[in-house]
Amino acid sequence: MTTLVQEDQLTRPTYHEVTRDIVATLGRPSRMYYVLLGLVITVFAIGVVALLFQVRYGLGVAGYTPPVMWGVYIATFVFWVGIAHSGTLISAILYLFRSAWRTSVYRTAEAMTVFAVMTAGLFPLIHVGRIWYAYWLFPYPNQRQLWVNFKSPLLWDVFAVSTYFTVSTLFLIVGLIPDLAAVREKATGWRKKLYEITSLGWRGTDQQWRHYTRGYLYLAALATPLVLSVHSVVSWDFAMSIVPGWHATIFAPYFVAGAIYSGVAMVVTLLVPLRKVFKVERYITVEHFENLAKLLLLTGLIVGYAYAIEYFIAWYSGSPYERASFWNRAFGEYWWATWTMITCNGFLPLLLFSRKIRRSIPAMFVLSLFVNLGMWFERFVIIVVSLSFEYEPYAMGHYTPSWVEWAILAGSFAWFFMWFLLFAKNFPTVSITEVKEIIPMPRKERAHA
Amino acid sequence: MTKRALFVTGTLVAAVASVSLLTSQSTTAQGPQGDTAVPYEAPVDIDTAGLPGPKQPILYRHDVHAGQYEMDCRYCHFAAEVSPSPALPAVATCMGCHIIAGAANPEVQKLREYWNERRPIEWIEVHEMAPFVRFPHNRHVVSDSGSFKELEVVEKCDVCHGPIRRMPQVYQFASLKMGWCITCHEKDQVSIDCTLCHY
Amino acid sequence: MAENSNGMNRRRFLKVLGVTGGGAAALTGCSGDGAQKLIPYIVPPDNQIPGIATWYASTCRECPAGCGLHVRVREGRPVKLEGNPDHPVNGGRLCARGQAGLQGLYNPDRVRQPLARASDGTFEPISWDEAIARITEGVNAVPGDQMRFMTGSEAGTFDRFVDDWLAAFGSTGRINFEPFAYEALRHASRSVFGIDALPRYDLASARYVLSFGTDFLETWSNPVGQARAFGDSHGFRDGAMGKFVHVEPRMSMTAMSADEWIAPAPGTEGLIAMAMARVIVRDGLASVPSDVARLESILDQFEPDSVAARTDVPAETIERLAREFVSEPSVALAGGVGCQHAEAHGTAAAVLLMNYVAGNVGRTVQFATESGSAPATYADVVGLAQMMRDGSVGALLVHSANPVYATPPGLRFVEAMRQVPFKVSFSRFLDETAAECDLVLPDHDPLEQWNDSEPIPGVHTLQQPVMQPVFETRQTGDVLLTVAQQAGGRAATRLATSTYKEYLEAAWQRLQRRLGDPRPFAAFWTEALQRGGAWREVGTRAVRLATPMGRFGDVLPWVAPADGLALVAYPSPALFDGRGANRPWLQELPDPVTKVTWSTWVEIHPETAAEYRIAEGDIVELASQAGSIRVPAYLYPGIRRDCVAVPMGQGHTAFGRYAEGRGANVLSLLSGEPTAYGGVATYTAVTLRHTGAHERLAKTEGRPRQLGRGIAQAIALEELVHGEPHEAHEGHAAPVPEHIEDVLDEWQEGEFRETEQGDYAGEHPRWAMAVDLSRCTGCSACVTACHAENNIATVGAELVSRGREMSWLRIERYFEGGENGVPFEARVVPMMCQHCGNAPCEPVCPVFAAYHTPDGLNAQIYNRCVGTRYCSNNCPYKVRYFNWFDYQDEADSTFAWPAPLHWLLNPDVTVRAKGVMEKCTFCVQRIRDKQHAATLADRELADGEVVTACQQTCPANAIVFGDLHDPNSQVSRAARDARGYHVLGDLNTRPAITYLKKVRNIVEA
Repeated sequence: MTTLVQEDQLTRPTYHEVTRDIVATLGRPSRMYYVLLGLVITVFAIGVVALLFQVRYGLGVAGYTPPVMWGVYIATFVFWVGIAHSGTLISAILYLFRSAWRTSVYRTAEAMTVFAVMTAGLFPLIHVGRIWYAYWLFPYPNQRQLWVNFKSPLLWDVFAVSTYFTVSTLFLIVGLIPDLAAVREKATGWRKKLYEITSLGWRGTDQQWRHYTRGYLYLAALATPLVLSVHSVVSWDFAMSIVPGWHATIFAPYFVAGAIYSGVAMVVTLLVPLRKVFKVERYITVEHFENLAKLLLLTGLIVGYAYAIEYFIAWYSGSPYERASFWNRAFGEYWWATWTMITCNGFLPLLLFSRKIRRSIPAMFVLSLFVNLGMWFERFVIIVVSLSFEYEPYAMGHYTPSWVEWAILAGSFAWFFMWFLLFAKNFPTVSITEVKEIIPMPRKERAHA
Repeated sequence: MTKRALFVTGTLVAAVASVSLLTSQSTTAQGPQGDTAVPYEAPVDIDTAGLPGPKQPILYRHDVHAGQYEMDCRYCHFAAEVSPSPALPAVATCMGCHIIAGAANPEVQKLREYWNERRPIEWIEVHEMAPFVRFPHNRHVVSDSGSFKELEVVEKCDVCHGPIRRMPQVYQFASLKMGWCITCHEKDQVSIDCTLCHY
Repeated sequence: MAENSNGMNRRRFLKVLGVTGGGAAALTGCSGDGAQKLIPYIVPPDNQIPGIATWYASTCRECPAGCGLHVRVREGRPVKLEGNPDHPVNGGRLCARGQAGLQGLYNPDRVRQPLARASDGTFEPISWDEAIARITEGVNAVPGDQMRFMTGSEAGTFDRFVDDWLAAFGSTGRINFEPFAYEALRHASRSVFGIDALPRYDLASARYVLSFGTDFLETWSNPVGQARAFGDSHGFRDGAMGKFVHVEPRMSMTAMSADEWIAPAPGTEGLIAMAMARVIVRDGLASVPSDVARLESILDQFEPDSVAARTDVPAETIERLAREFVSEPSVALAGGVGCQHAEAHGTAAAVLLMNYVAGNVGRTVQFATESGSAPATYADVVGLAQMMRDGSVGALLVHSANPVYATPPGLRFVEAMRQVPFKVSFSRFLDETAAECDLVLPDHDPLEQWNDSEPIPGVHTLQQPVMQPVFETRQTGDVLLTVAQQAGGRAATRLATSTYKEYLEAAWQRLQRRLGDPRPFAAFWTEALQRGGAWREVGTRAVRLATPMGRFGDVLPWVAPADGLALVAYPSPALFDGRGANRPWLQELPDPVTKVTWSTWVEIHPETAAEYRIAEGDIVELASQAGSIRVPAYLYPGIRRDCVAVPMGQGHTAFGRYAEGRGANVLSLLSGEPTAYGGVATYTAVTLRHTGAHERLAKTEGRPRQLGRGIAQAIALEELVHGEPHEAHEGHAAPVPEHIEDVLDEWQEGEFRETEQGDYAGEHPRWAMAVDLSRCTGCSACVTACHAENNIATVGAELVSRGREMSWLRIERYFEGGENGVPFEARVVPMMCQHCGNAPCEPVCPVFAAYHTPDGLNAQIYNRCVGTRYCSNNCPYKVRYFNWFDYQDEADSTFAWPAPLHWLLNPDVTVRAKGVMEKCTFCVQRIRDKQHAATLADRELADGEVVTACQQTCPANAIVFGDLHDPNSQVSRAARDARGYHVLGDLNTRPAITYLKKVRNIVEA
């Protein structure tokens, strides 16, 4: 395997070249970079203003229309948690499976994971009516002798997300150590300081390497179950309730697959521009995209299957509420959302059966965008459409998001990209060490001369 | 269910421990006033500046009225036994005595001004309770169990109001925080159901 | 501390708030707002203990019915109005409008001091002395015969007082204005029986009620009392119930309670009545009075077959009705909406005739020996307008009447008024009429004044002031007396008394003599005040057909227009004739039929709408010869295809922030000409045009049909009595397997156990409710009661249209049938928190803000709520309401209680702040209050001791509340009833509310 990769993917760059190329990505940013950064920060600021507005006047400024009590915020929360997943999959699981191709993409994926969780974590707060009391969701001893309700799936969420954030951050930082040491040597000024601190005095001794690889392995092992557990827990927010359209046993696997699906799509969305801008085509090659495409196809098929099964069970259950709910999904007021979701997530990925598309980077890019869109709509459909059509006909309603929600949604994307941009210019987005690992030892030709 | 129980008990222990500090005070509250053998003499001149508690429009001295003269609390707070709210004395009630008594006292003169101008006295609330809490005074003052067992009515007031009959100027004795209420309710085996006080 | 600018007495206000403590204060995280002040009384008021409510008896003046009130007063503020149980008119119940009287008292738009028209046409505040000086001068300048005094339908001492006062000025010009003066009915009894009186219908003892468009459960006559009587006769009890047939082109709220709804061509009700009479006489179905023979010739013209075509009601139906009608004690009602068209006197006469023929007159239709005082007819008002136009009225004084709004614009009452040199209003609000006057001398609110009235002959009901006046107003009686004194001369001598109260007491001394009560007056007076009045028996008189029989239009039908549509204008159940329009509670009260709030709409049959390509919410223009209005359409299957209906009450141009510029005034479509019988014709021909504009109707209804989910269930009497008791549940309540049952019980008990502690351990009550749908009429009085009791915010049209209303209790209204041959039916079901034993909302709350109390309440702790709204998602009944905005923050545009409206807040209930969930609590404050009382008295709670607000006010007595663990309690017995079912019971939520199926007394075809 290794040799194969080595032959095709990397036209034999030397260790020196690797270090050079990747350290180069940390060079002085172009004007374009600052323009982008400025843009995202502005959008983020707008989101913050919208949030403050909402906190001052109450959640009424959002578009909520009872009985739809959850809307864009929770949908976006689930969306970002989902995005987070592929990162850990690629970095941890593929690491355990020793699949070499991950080496040059996993750093990006991992960074994405951390930032996605950071974004997701905001939404439960944005969503609650009294954000200033959100800390009550954490169990802590207090004079009122009050405790949290461990029966509530929302509480499990609190733990799941925070755990996931801790582990993935740890994983990212540890993975960075040797690279930072490498960069440290080249850097100057405040950055040198930064790298000196963050590289935790890495000198590359045997002992350090031995401990490092062990530690990394264990972290990978620790992170792996989270890929499955976290989004299962998130899915239980819905599955554990009695809302028709939510109350389904398939939700956990369905959501995990969906999460990885959307995550991989986001990785593609990020890698395509990245490799262009940073000129690392030698390291992130078509091969990588094809592998990602296969992953996309697999999870996409699972998601498509889940959609089908949902409808089947709704019919098979014989529950008139379930049947009505799903009929309403497909043909009710929100048919457009449902069909967007099915098209983007169910049908479009089938194109990936063609090798040509798998290997066409523009095609992959466009496709990934569609999948991102589709996955957001999946959450919107599950949450909003189910809630708008529950048990009590007299109390059914129609929800349309308000500008505040759109602003905060945009702000969340800005927040995510802000972190990513900052990361890309200050930390190696391709793992120097691991790329080197799969390059054969340099042979000294002129040894005899 | 049992898991949660574990969690709960675990931290309740911590919580109770921390809160018990508060209560140890409240229970010993009756201490100084328990001995009624020696008649109490309220201090004549006091450093008003140094007194705890908010400065009231009139320096009404509980220590003189309720302490030295041993006036029953219910003379002014007449509703304490029958109503959730203990009631405040109307200006007329004060004038009942002070039409004659204490003419020389500058504070009494203030009172008379209020009366003559038909102005209500704007007392500053000392024991301020969160607006979403219901505290029925009558249930507590009439109760004859737990903390209130075998107490004179006036002593029952002390359970929450502390040495109020020794206060030249009233200050908040108990924290009035929920933890403080709960500890007592648990100690006295009274319900701690939320809707007992919150609705 | 001086009076502050807005004229409200700040000192009194603080006094009140201070001793009230935090009760009514808002739910803010913790009290951060500086030092709270405690303001004691200067002199303690009698029998007032802070923290304990005082109750005063008084009388409701929101409509002429004159219901008895019990006013709940806390710290000097009335905080709730309830019915007076001893009162003969309403027997302890009160309608939504009556309860909203509180919002008249505390209305922020009340006139706060006397106003005078300035040179620039605007009003300027003046002192009372100056005001009185001006009016004295004004009336002195006018010769008595040119003075006109318009009062509302007082029918009490005030009437006589005004007469005396006018007499003192040599005038007799009192005109007593009531928009609905029952002209047709009076005219009919004059022409048929030759007596000028209104019939009294005995609904309670009638087993068969046949209503010809009489909205007796909504606004007509005495709706509360009638609803009670109707509930008793028509409500299902021990396998039997009365039958109710309603004849009207539109299914009104009243008609929704009918077992059978017959929709004749508009205005032809009278023909049906005559035809029925004809059948009765022809077939000798009843032992008809001898003098009926004289009717033969008339009746002959009304063979069912000939009538059928004109009425659009099959002959056999008429025959059947006639037979049913005489088969058991019956009554046929005329009056109300059905008796307001151009030929209504004919209709009313026909109905009276039929009653007479069927031998009901003297039994279920009675005439009192006293006729009571009759309000002026519309014709009289027209006469007044004419006189004013001619300039023969020098001074017009208006008290508690709003003719400018309540008469058709076609009459041009405004222009007429402008011809009057001196106009004075005593209105409490700057309504359309007051706005036209030169002087406004605001009267006290009925709750602030001394007065009485005699709504029904023999019922003398008293009003007493229950609080110090909120504003610098004065009782009109006293003002007039002062004027008389200052006018001097004859006036001064003729009115000796110095205050109106003395005058009133004098009147009551005469009444005491009349009653032959030997006691000293003081005793009599005190007892009357405590009871709310004094009642005496008034006999009935036997009546015979008048000779000669007066002309009543030979029962011509009102001929519906061949082209265009027939418009039916009806008084709104919430706003009545519009006098309720400035009460936010009433504006936000969903109309019992359409569920629309805060606006005017036109009801159109879906098929008619399809012809005109009109969808719900499309703005249509209705045009008649008189004028035109633009209103949004509401598609209603319960109206004839050739009819449209529009409610009255909106479209005010003055009358305060809640009423102004809202909806349209349907009177604009009606002719100003009085009808033959001297009334306003509320049926007219209109054309309909789609304007292309559209608006989102502010209605609380999601979907009008049940989707077969059995939420509002009904059963035919036959089936109930003879069928299997437990079969035929609608919806799909899947039988729960045994082992599941055990699991559920286990869980339910667990929920209870968790909160058990101390003296709550062991046996608890399980609070529960039962709602009898065979009694519920959908009148929505309970909804307003809930608002009043629980400090529920009103949120306005915009938020209602986005489903954000806060009303904890809603009356769901579902349509059944109405297509492919199935008769149309509307069902109502009051929906509030079901306090499930196995509540889906509880486990999902991450912070235990929603949890189960040991006594089976599904509690919601506002101050613990973080606002995740998961509970609401998981509530199948959707009865949880979220505070989207800060309705309790006066800084916000959504502030629900602009001063002094916040004085009506119940001190025992927390006012919720933004971001928290709230819902029905089963009036937990009332439960705890009674429990405290019982504990202090060292006794057990008795069954029926705890009464929830909705139960207390329900006119039809449809709600019972109590302890389910006590097998003998009323509620337990109701819960075991064969008709009992749980809404969405198949979800195993174990609701504490049992609904008793509606029973329909029909013969299943």
